[in-house]
Formats: sequence, structure tokens, C-alpha cells
Amino acid sequence: MIISPLIFALTVFIGRVKIRNILVVSFVIILSILSLLNMTLETTSFESNLSHSLHNIFILVDTLLLIYFLAQGIIKKHYLVTVLAIMQMLLYSVVLSLSPTLLSNDILVDNISSVMYLIINIVGGIIIIYALEYIKSEEFSAFKKNAFIAILFIFLSIMNFIVSTNNIEIFFMLFELTTLCSFILIGYRGDEISSNNALKALWMNQIGGVAILIAIIFSIHHYNTAYFDMLITNINELYLLPIVFLAIAGFVKGASIPFEKWLLGAMVAPTPVSAILHSATMVKIAPYIMFKLAPAMSGFVSVTITLIGTFVFFSASLLALSKDYFKEILGLSTIALLALMMSLAAIGTEEAIMACLVLIVFHAISKALLFLQAGILEKSFHLKYVNDINGLINHSPLVVFFIIIGFASLTLPPFGAFVAKFMAIESIAKEIVNNPLYSLALIFVAMGSVFLTLLYFKVVTKLFAKDVDYKEKLHVEIPKLYTVPSYMLLALLFIGVYISFDIELLSALEIIVPLVLIAVIPMLFAIFVFKKAHRVKEYNCGEKDEVKLNMYYFDISQKYKQLINVIAIVSIFILIVGVML
Amino acid sequence: MIEIILIVIAPIVGGLIYGFERVVRARMQNRQGPPILQPFYDMYKLIGKQAFIVNPYHSILGIMHFVTIWVVVAFIILGENLLYVVFLHLLSTIFIILAGFSVNSIYSHIGSNRELLATIAYEPILIIMAVGFYIINGTFDIPVIRANPSEIISLVLIFLSFLLIIPIKLKKSPFDASEAHQEIVGGVEVEFSGIFFEFIYMAKWLEYVFIYLLLVLFAGNNIILSIALLIGVFLLVNIVDNATARVKMKHLINIVLSIGFTLSLVNLLGLSYV
Repeated sequence: MIISPLIFALTVFIGRVKIRNILVVSFVIILSILSLLNMTLETTSFESNLSHSLHNIFILVDTLLLIYFLAQGIIKKHYLVTVLAIMQMLLYSVVLSLSPTLLSNDILVDNISSVMYLIINIVGGIIIIYALEYIKSEEFSAFKKNAFIAILFIFLSIMNFIVSTNNIEIFFMLFELTTLCSFILIGYRGDEISSNNALKALWMNQIGGVAILIAIIFSIHHYNTAYFDMLITNINELYLLPIVFLAIAGFVKGASIPFEKWLLGAMVAPTPVSAILHSATMVKIAPYIMFKLAPAMSGFVSVTITLIGTFVFFSASLLALSKDYFKEILGLSTIALLALMMSLAAIGTEEAIMACLVLIVFHAISKALLFLQAGILEKSFHLKYVNDINGLINHSPLVVFFIIIGFASLTLPPFGAFVAKFMAIESIAKEIVNNPLYSLALIFVAMGSVFLTLLYFKVVTKLFAKDVDYKEKLHVEIPKLYTVPSYMLLALLFIGVYISFDIELLSALEIIVPLVLIAVIPMLFAIFVFKKAHRVKEYNCGEKDEVKLNMYYFDISQKYKQLINVIAIVSIFILIVGVML
Repeated sequence: MIEIILIVIAPIVGGLIYGFERVVRARMQNRQGPPILQPFYDMYKLIGKQAFIVNPYHSILGIMHFVTIWVVVAFIILGENLLYVVFLHLLSTIFIILAGFSVNSIYSHIGSNRELLATIAYEPILIIMAVGFYIINGTFDIPVIRANPSEIISLVLIFLSFLLIIPIKLKKSPFDASEAHQEIVGGVEVEFSGIFFEFIYMAKWLEYVFIYLLLVLFAGNNIILSIALLIGVFLLVNIVDNATARVKMKHLINIVLSIGFTLSLVNLLGLSYV
């Protein structure tokens, strides 16, 4: 699972474009089958220990990585990167000098890892297939194109490793490797904006690395171990600092406010990169780490992280309402939903965990689908801004259909994201009785989910706006390698719905009956009444001139944006200080 | 069986409430007012009209709005999950908003936009109301809420914020900015005509049924209280409608969110301490 993508990455360089494409597709199929097999075979958890020489290699990799970061910081004259790299080096040497006595397995595959494998390999694989077509039209050299695909495979491999490791030191190495991958991929176009944003992503993620190192030091110092399972079983409610720092690393990876800038900056990268960062890899580390830590969280930490998460959910949805750039809207909604996932994991009840898992799976599929459409819009229609996609339905009903399904799957029944939000409200409501602070979280979730719904439908309305008699129709051929991955994701979505009927709160009947009614009755009307109906133009109050309508905005003033940031930063400090006291 | 009959006649009941309301309002203003059955006469006339379509999506979304709100009412009568009902109701609102945006008409767009803003204001309060019931009863199931004794005392602040949003949903002053026909020619509805307008019209009746069914939940199993609530709120809403002028959209959101949220939050905090 971990090694095969690495081999695939190497073989991608061989051969001509056509052979490469066939190879990649078959690799993706192999990976998907592997992850499915893992799901069916590994009913019990799988454990293993890595040899000592491998550990030495990991240490070497880490050292090289930190030197690379330092070099990048010096070459690009980026002050923050340099300072953070030096900080990491110092902390890392402290970590190496400590030798904990409580040992455990390096590799630990549990059920959650199996689910993560499915997401990483299948959704990630589909995005790689899509990337084959996307990269063709970029102005890179043939080698650079192959390297792009190879890096994506390596990324999958790292992700597979990260969800199977139990050793926090290895986790740190992989965390830094994902940082490196995103740094390279974001800066792939090589122009000034790209490299600036790549550096931004680098230093923000380095903060996460620093947090992990601090966590390891505290963990070894107090609990004498650097393993997740040992840490969690030995946890003392009075000393949760390692947990808090690991959670902060999660916030960084999940691009929660105030760290949201790196994920938004990542939009300059080629679209498959955004797709893979947002759905299958990278940001999914955030809810995953919260999952790992959930059993150890209690009382203050749990409440505070839930509050921070729901606050970010609320404010990211609010900020997204003022955006126009399609990918940025998607990005902010990712940030919002990730924050919701993290807070659900932090609540830690069985129901909340389930809701979080459902949300992770569906979010991955839906976001991948939406980002692929964003890429198609960009490549085939040269559209980036929502305001320009007016009447797209005239030109490409298929893309519009995918976008609508994508948004619908994030908001409406019977899709999992809806069910998850539903369960989220229920599990928070349950907690209110124990701790009144959760009512604040509830209000954030209620507001946030309304904002998010509005956001999605704001985009959808723009697609719908159709004239009575449109004149020209653009003839744009959408390549097969674009549409096929979209169909695959669509299929995954429906498989997901089918599976999620088992675990839902609501019966299938409750969901299917209204859907059928809502879909069928209007269709009947469309068939029988529309034929006889007359077509008319809109009523414009006698105005002769055509009215060009733009999208509506909810402008949020700078003052409030700053306020949101301040609240987020202060609350993280409260978290740290509160645990120290 | 009785449920199915109730579901089928729900739009008719809504129409009657609407007709009765017009009479009551007219009497308050010292007018004669139309007959109670006026909504049904209107309906008869609308069905007979020639159908006009601006674009197919627009008309289909309008019908979907009507079907969804009917399903919502049916789910309340059948006794399903309250939170699910609230979400499904949001879906029905989304359909009408989408319909408004799907045509290239300024009035329709402004109407949709205002409807959206109104949704921001009232939807969270509906969700919090559902959670309030959940905390008291331990479940979102409507039959359980109906079977338990009335909890209006412990939910009194949430009840007040619910009262606050009724005028938005029923398009009454001071919160009727979303359809303000004097300014924006009816807003979302402007492009609907003939039989398609009929669906929007009937959806409005069902909206009455929806709101009053939610209201009755506050009375629990106390029938006298529920009748008192129905009559009291009906009169109150109409008096307020007659006595106030329309406020701006911005004020609507500020008023509802600040007052409604404070009340609901205080109520939730209170519930968790009890």
C-alpha cells in the first residue's frame, strides 16, 4: 500500500504519453483494489514494527528535509521559513536526544485507517487520471509533466503511510513530507505568485511541524513515549499539553482560521493539485489526527476545540459568501467543513465520530467532483469567476449537472453530508445538557450550515440563469479524460448513499419518498403542460434595454475579517494557556 | 387514515385560514373584505388562464417548491423527525429562491435576494427551536413532543423568538420585505402566471399550515392550550400586521438575529442549568 505508489511513481517516467496514460490508469485500478481488499480483509487491526535501520533512514530523511527547508528559506530570502526551519532543527535535535522507554508498534492499521485508504487511493487515483489530461495542455516540458504525475503518486504513498503510522516521530516526518509535496506542487508553475504562495504554505505548515515537535517533547518528558496509542492510554487529565499541540498541528493542516491563507493561496496551483489537496490528501490529516486524539480529549480541551471548530465553520462559510472566484469558494467551504469535522471528532461521542466519518467520505468525493468541474471550466471554457458562468447551461448541460450534483451532495438529503450535519446538530444538542457552552457551538453550526447552503445555491443560481432565446451556442469539446473521472466520482457518490442507508438516523423511506415526489410531479407537469404553454420574455417594467444581472454579494468589511482572525488566534491561546493551568 | 385525510386537505385548510385572515384584517381596518372563499375563487380563475412560461426551470422549480412544502406538512402530520422537517422546509425555500434567480428579471432577483436574507434570519432560529424540543424531550420525534405535557414555560424565550419569525414566513408587516409588492412587484412571484402562479399561491397556504402546526407543538398534549395558542397568535400576527409598517431588509436581519438569538441562547443556557 505504501510502497506500490512509489514504484508507480518511478515507472511513470518510462515510455511515451499513451503508454504512460495506460500505465497510470492501471496503477490507479490496482491501488483501488488494494484499498478495497484491505477493507474486507483487515477486520482486526494490523500491527507491525519497523526495523532499526529504517528508523535511521527516517532520521536522515527528516534532517535532509529540514536542511532543504532552511536552504529554501535562505535562497528565497524568506525570513519566516528560515526561522521556523532553524526552530524545527533545534527541537528535532532535542527530540533525538531523548529516548523514551515505553515502546509500541510503529504501524497500526485500524478501521479508520482502512476508510482513509479508500478515500486516499480511490478518490486520489481518479484525480490522477484526470490530471493526465489536465497536464497535457500545460506549458511544461515532458519531463516536468511526468514528474507532476509522479509527485501525485508519491503524495498518495505518503498519505497511506501517515494514516497507518503509530509513531509520532514518523508522523512528524510524513507531516513534513506532505508539506514538501504541497510546497512543490503549489509552486509548480514557477511564476512569482506561485512561488510566493508556495512559501506561504511552507511556513504555515512549518508551524504545524513545530507544534508536533513540541508535542513529542512534552509527551516523552511526561509520559515517556512517542507513540499515539501509549500516549492515549496513559493520558492523565491534568496534563494534556501534547494532545493540544498535536491538535494545533491538525488545525494548521486543516487550514482552519487563522491558518486559512495557505489553502487559499494553493489555488494558483494546477487544478488537480487543488483537487487532491482538498479531497483525498493533505487537509484530511486534520480530522484524522483529531480522530486519533479523540479518546484522550476530555472536559476543557474537548469543549474548546469544538468551539474553535464550530466558530471556524461559521466564519469560513460567512467569508465564502463574499467571494467570486469559483475555486476560492470551494476552498473556503472546505475549510468550513474540515473545521466541522474536527469539532465533531473532538466531541468524541459515538454518534459524533460516525457523523465525522460520513462527512469525511462524502466531502472527499463531492469536493473532488467540484474541483474537477472547476478545472474543466478553466480549461475548456476559460472561466474562473462565478459571475462569468452565466447561462453555462446553454453550452454545457453536463458540467452544470455535475456542479449541481456536487453542491447538492454537500447540502441535501439523501447524501451523506446532509446526514452528517444532521447528526452533528443532534450530537451537539445532546452535549448541551452536560455543558452549556455547547449551545454556543450549536448556534455556530446552525448559522454556518445556513450560510453554506446559501453559498452553494448562490453559485447554482448563476448556472441556471437562462435566457428565453439564446443566440449562439459554444461548441466546446470536453475531453473524455475529463468526463470519465467525473462519472466515476458520481458513481462513488451513489455507492456512498447506498451504503450510508445502513447507518442513518432516517429511514430510507423518509428520504426516498419526498425525493421521488419532488422529482416526479414537476416532471409530469413539464411533459403535459409545457407543450401547451406559451413562451414569453421576462417583465422588465417597460425598460427597453437588456438588463445584465450580476451575482449578489454579501460584503464583509475588513473590520469583521480582522475580528474573526483575532477571535481565532485568541481562542487557540486560551486553549494552550487553559491546559497549562 | 385520519392522517392521510389531513394531509390531503391541508392546502384547503390553509386556503381557508388565508381567506379568513383577509376577512379579519379587513374588519380590523373597518372594511368589508372579500368572502372567506376568495382564495378558491382566485384559484379557479388562475387554473383557467393561458399558461405562460419564461423558462422551463423557472416553472419546474416553482412546482417543486409547492410539492416540497406539502411533503413537509405531511411529515409533521405523520409525526416524523422535527429537525428533518426543518431542513426539508429549508429545501422548499431554496427551490423558490432558485426559481427567482433562474429568470433574467430584476424584480425576481431582488425578491429572491431578499428571500435569501430572510432565510438567514429565520432558519437558525427554527433549528434552535428544534433543539430546544430535543433537550426537553430527548428526541426529535414529533409524536413524543405531542404526547408530553406542554413545555411552553421552560421554552418561553424560544417561543418568543418563534413568534418573531412568524411574520417573515407569513409575509406580514413589519417583516414582509421579501415580497413587498409596492416596491418590487411581488418579488420572487413576479414571473409566475396562470397555473404556475397557482402553485406558488397554494404553497403560501401550506406555509400557514406549516407555521401553525409548529406552533401547536409548544402546547404538547394540552388541547385547550393549543387552541388558545392558535387563536391568540393568529390575532396577534394580524394586529401587528395592521399596526406596523414594513422595515428594511437590513433591519429585519438585525432585529431578528439580535433579539431572536439572544432569547434562544438564554433559553438554551437556562435549559442546560435546570
